[in-house]
Amino acid sequence: MAKKLMKGAEAIGEAAVQAGCHLFFGYPITPQNEIPEYLSSRMPQVGGAFVQAESEVASINMLYGAAGAGERVMTSSSSPGISLMAEGISYCAGAELPVVIVNIMRAGPGLGGILPSQADYFQTTKGMAHGDFRLLALAPWSIQEAADLVQDAFDLADYYRNPVMVVGDGLIGQMMEPVEFYEDRQPIKELPPKTWASTGWKRDRPKAIINSLFLDPAELERHNFHLKEKYDLMERDEVRFATYGAVDSADVVIIAYGTVARVCLSAIEALEQEGIKVAMVRPITLWPFPYKAVREVASKAKDILVVELSTGQMIEDVRLALHRPRPIHFHCRLGGMLVSPEEVIDKVKAIKAGTSEEVQHA
Amino acid sequence: MFSRQVTVLVGHFGSGKTEIALNGALDLAARGERVTLADLDVVKPYFRARSARFILAEAGVDLIAPEGENVYADLPIIVPRVRDVLRRPQGKVILDVGGDGTGARVLGSITDVLPKTGMNVLVVVNFSRPSTPDPAGAVAMVREIERVSRVRVTGLISNTHMLEETTPEIVVSGAEQAVRAGNELGLPVVASAVHQDMASSVNGALPCSIFVLNRIVKPPFEVQPQRRTMGPLFVLN
Repeated sequence: MAKKLMKGAEAIGEAAVQAGCHLFFGYPITPQNEIPEYLSSRMPQVGGAFVQAESEVASINMLYGAAGAGERVMTSSSSPGISLMAEGISYCAGAELPVVIVNIMRAGPGLGGILPSQADYFQTTKGMAHGDFRLLALAPWSIQEAADLVQDAFDLADYYRNPVMVVGDGLIGQMMEPVEFYEDRQPIKELPPKTWASTGWKRDRPKAIINSLFLDPAELERHNFHLKEKYDLMERDEVRFATYGAVDSADVVIIAYGTVARVCLSAIEALEQEGIKVAMVRPITLWPFPYKAVREVASKAKDILVVELSTGQMIEDVRLALHRPRPIHFHCRLGGMLVSPEEVIDKVKAIKAGTSEEVQHA
Repeated sequence: MFSRQVTVLVGHFGSGKTEIALNGALDLAARGERVTLADLDVVKPYFRARSARFILAEAGVDLIAPEGENVYADLPIIVPRVRDVLRRPQGKVILDVGGDGTGARVLGSITDVLPKTGMNVLVVVNFSRPSTPDPAGAVAMVREIERVSRVRVTGLISNTHMLEETTPEIVVSGAEQAVRAGNELGLPVVASAVHQDMASSVNGALPCSIFVLNRIVKPPFEVQPQRRTMGPLFVLN
């Protein structure tokens, strides 16, 4: 298909359709309303269904039902709406349901504001909801990558029978870039038929029951160990990242994800002109986090700089990656304010000059 | 393109109305004209003309837009002053209206103060956008906007581009498609908007006049430091 100039929200919606998702259930919230808006007119064209639910709680439980029937299904929301869906996401993980959830993050906590943020990092990677489960989380930095990752998300969700989240800051929902969809795209995983799905019992197989309630503790323990095996596989096989900038040795190594990494790349290119060498690791999967890549690239420089639209939630994972205490510096903007390339340039120069304060280890 | 006293920019979501409105206002101001730019966008929450308030203020453009906290609100706020300005316009007035029929609905609420003469209502079209893939799509968009806004469209602005991936062929083919849509609607294509870096390579090949653009609406990673703006138009400082 020829390239189109698309808003992130339109590309995310179209990517779902291209991935064979014919069901969308959601509830409006800025800055992702254009995803449901797009799908409200697109789903009928492909014989699919769009439902504006009465709430986020209803939406995620509609996903539970549709996924349980073996259908590809998606919802999208923004930070406060994702919090409302948290219980249902835990149920989907417990019942091993493949669902795709898009979070276009806005600034919080509480209602916060409608401008871009990355403050849901902890929520996405560590504490989405109750119980022992993990969420595979993909973080695009461009509209093309958002379109690609949404399609991959459906394959990953089906393969692992687990919720997958595509997480972007507000700009990923709102900005516009050229996007291409490939008609001959193949699934990234070998996907067996969904024999586990609850599609009507004709006495030809064991009953397919979708459930997350296990009253027998021995059975629940077995279930928890089974889930853990899946999460171990994801940690082994699904880590995604990209590296940029200086190859051999660097003055500073930056860790950043999403559109913030693009701001950092603009800064890295400008710094290169001045002879300052900076390397960058961009996590594409926030969970599983690219610990090994961060450790390897960080070994090129004495100083590490984390840049985020949060108060430093990713620093914890960077520390875990490093294995031993290393100088970590941090730059952020909050509340919907955005990091600019010159802020990153100034910070890198301050680190080099020894005037930047390190993040204190507890 | 901004020859009449009042210019209303309408068109589909993401067609480039705000970019053209900002460029038009700054061009007129640079030529010493008195300009008022009204941000009537009730559709998109980011990349609105109001985010360029510092650039506009420095150029002496009078911006009509929500103020205080409401600058950032995703609420359908129409600042009442727009009615006063339209009743007694001084200098040129540009109305930057939100996308699609949904955005154009705003015009329906101010039809009583829109001038009967001396007004251009221009539909901005980008054929690279999914909602208007061809001239038939543009014709449907114009009719939808006229139906919802109860205002007659007087012309088209061709704005087909692919941002960084724009080629002269994309620009020229877009202008030709705009002419085909215009012929079906009985409307002129008043100009083709072209980025300044591409102007020399398409001039002469276009079936209409050219409106040279500076790109102002940008995400933060593409912004030069000297641009002071507000909101995630561009950059925040």
